[in-house]
Amino acid sequence: MPNMSSTTTLSPAGAATPFATGLRGLRPHAWHCTLLGAAGGISTWAASGWNAWAAIGGGVLLAAGVIFDRQRALVERRRQARTAAFVSGTEALGRELLPVWGAHIESSRQQMETAIAELSQRFGGIVDRLDQAMKASSMAAGSSDSASHGLVAVFDRSTQELNAVLESLRKATASNSEMHAEVQNLGSFVTELQQMAAEVASIASQTNLLAINAAIEAAHAGESGRGFSVLAQEVRKLSAMSGETGRRMTDKVNLVGQAIAKARQSAEASAAREIASISVCEGSINGVLSGFHNVTQALVESADVLKRESIGIQSEICEALVQLQFQDRVSQVMSHVRQNIEQVPGELAASREGFERTGDLQPVDAAALLAALQKTYAMAEEHTTHRGGSVSAPASEEITFF
Amino acid sequence: MAKNILIVDDSASVRQVVSIALRGAGYEVQEGCDGKDALSKLKGQKVHMIISDVNMPNMDGISLVKAVKQLPAYKFTPIVMLTTESQESKKREGQEAGAKAWIVKPFKPDQLLGVVQKLVLP
Repeated sequence: MPNMSSTTTLSPAGAATPFATGLRGLRPHAWHCTLLGAAGGISTWAASGWNAWAAIGGGVLLAAGVIFDRQRALVERRRQARTAAFVSGTEALGRELLPVWGAHIESSRQQMETAIAELSQRFGGIVDRLDQAMKASSMAAGSSDSASHGLVAVFDRSTQELNAVLESLRKATASNSEMHAEVQNLGSFVTELQQMAAEVASIASQTNLLAINAAIEAAHAGESGRGFSVLAQEVRKLSAMSGETGRRMTDKVNLVGQAIAKARQSAEASAAREIASISVCEGSINGVLSGFHNVTQALVESADVLKRESIGIQSEICEALVQLQFQDRVSQVMSHVRQNIEQVPGELAASREGFERTGDLQPVDAAALLAALQKTYAMAEEHTTHRGGSVSAPASEEITFF
Repeated sequence: MAKNILIVDDSASVRQVVSIALRGAGYEVQEGCDGKDALSKLKGQKVHMIISDVNMPNMDGISLVKAVKQLPAYKFTPIVMLTTESQESKKREGQEAGAKAWIVKPFKPDQLLGVVQKLVLP
């Protein structure tokens, strides 16, 4: 801000030197009326034949000439003082005010630069964070092409492993069915064994009947058949033992048959339970996989939406970054104007010096200032504006390869 | 290994915008605020490309290009001018100094990336 004391330089007091210079320039003309009055008075006096009254008239003419000259000199001094004050004030304007304008422009330019740089940095941060969020989301969902441990991959592996478990259960059931068929075959063997035991019992019974007949025949033979009778008795004992063995065989075969039947029933029940259990497992696994698939799909879709939105936001930010470059252009224009403003005090001082030197007003060289301003231009729109044309926001498409 | 690119501009916001565009594409970015600063940044590291403004304090972009071309290590390093200057005479100056391309601001990040990918040293 300009201080108050600086305003004193705008007052006429600062014009003492140019005023004196002005007076020096005026002195040769200041006595014209006085001389004219003196000449008129002497001529009148002489023409009257040196009459005393005419001398008084001549004196009046001389006095009128002196008074008129003084008045004119006073008016001229006042005019010169005003001119000098104007010149001095104008120079003070350049010396005191324009630097403040320049400082304000520079301060604004720097503030804008700082703010835009910070804004750009924040936009950059947003782009980085979006990128990281997008990558993390894609990796977690496994929707990216290169993802090997995302949710989709976990789902695929889980599906494969659970299907393998189901397959192994189905194979175990098939194996149990084969065992069940073997047990069924054992039933037919039991029947055969029962028939064989019955045949043994029948053979024992027939042998016993033969031994009885042999004993009867031995009795009929008397003393000579005594040995044969002993033999027949032994055969009867053997047939009795065979018949007993046949019965025990039948009993045991029956027991085995019952055990096999029970085992078969248990195997059938177990197989039915296994089939039911596998069916339940399959249903549960399919249910879990279906739910997992839905969640995975939702997450993948969500990741895709996030990706699309992120790309859209990044694109918007890129557009914003293009627009933010206006700061660089505005900053340059402001710098060029500030530099030109800084040249004005020098021109005004030169004008004042010229006035002091010659007593004549020296015009500020606006053409030189304009030329100097034009020389600083870097952008086409600066030239357009200089010529009085209007400019719109420049398009970003000019690239030249050398 | 990521390519190292030096961006030289007296406007911090422009350096920032260029950095965002290039870092997003996987490049390493160094920053210099004028020609002299850029020359000091070239010492002790490998720079694969220089992107420079033209009008800068201390040392302007054209002088920077001439100075870089005198350095044996950077004789063939591509230099792209990124400036608001659009006068043909200035472009000729840049071309004669040894610049490879001239981009007039404002630029689109995609366009800048296209130029960088086309010219950056392998």
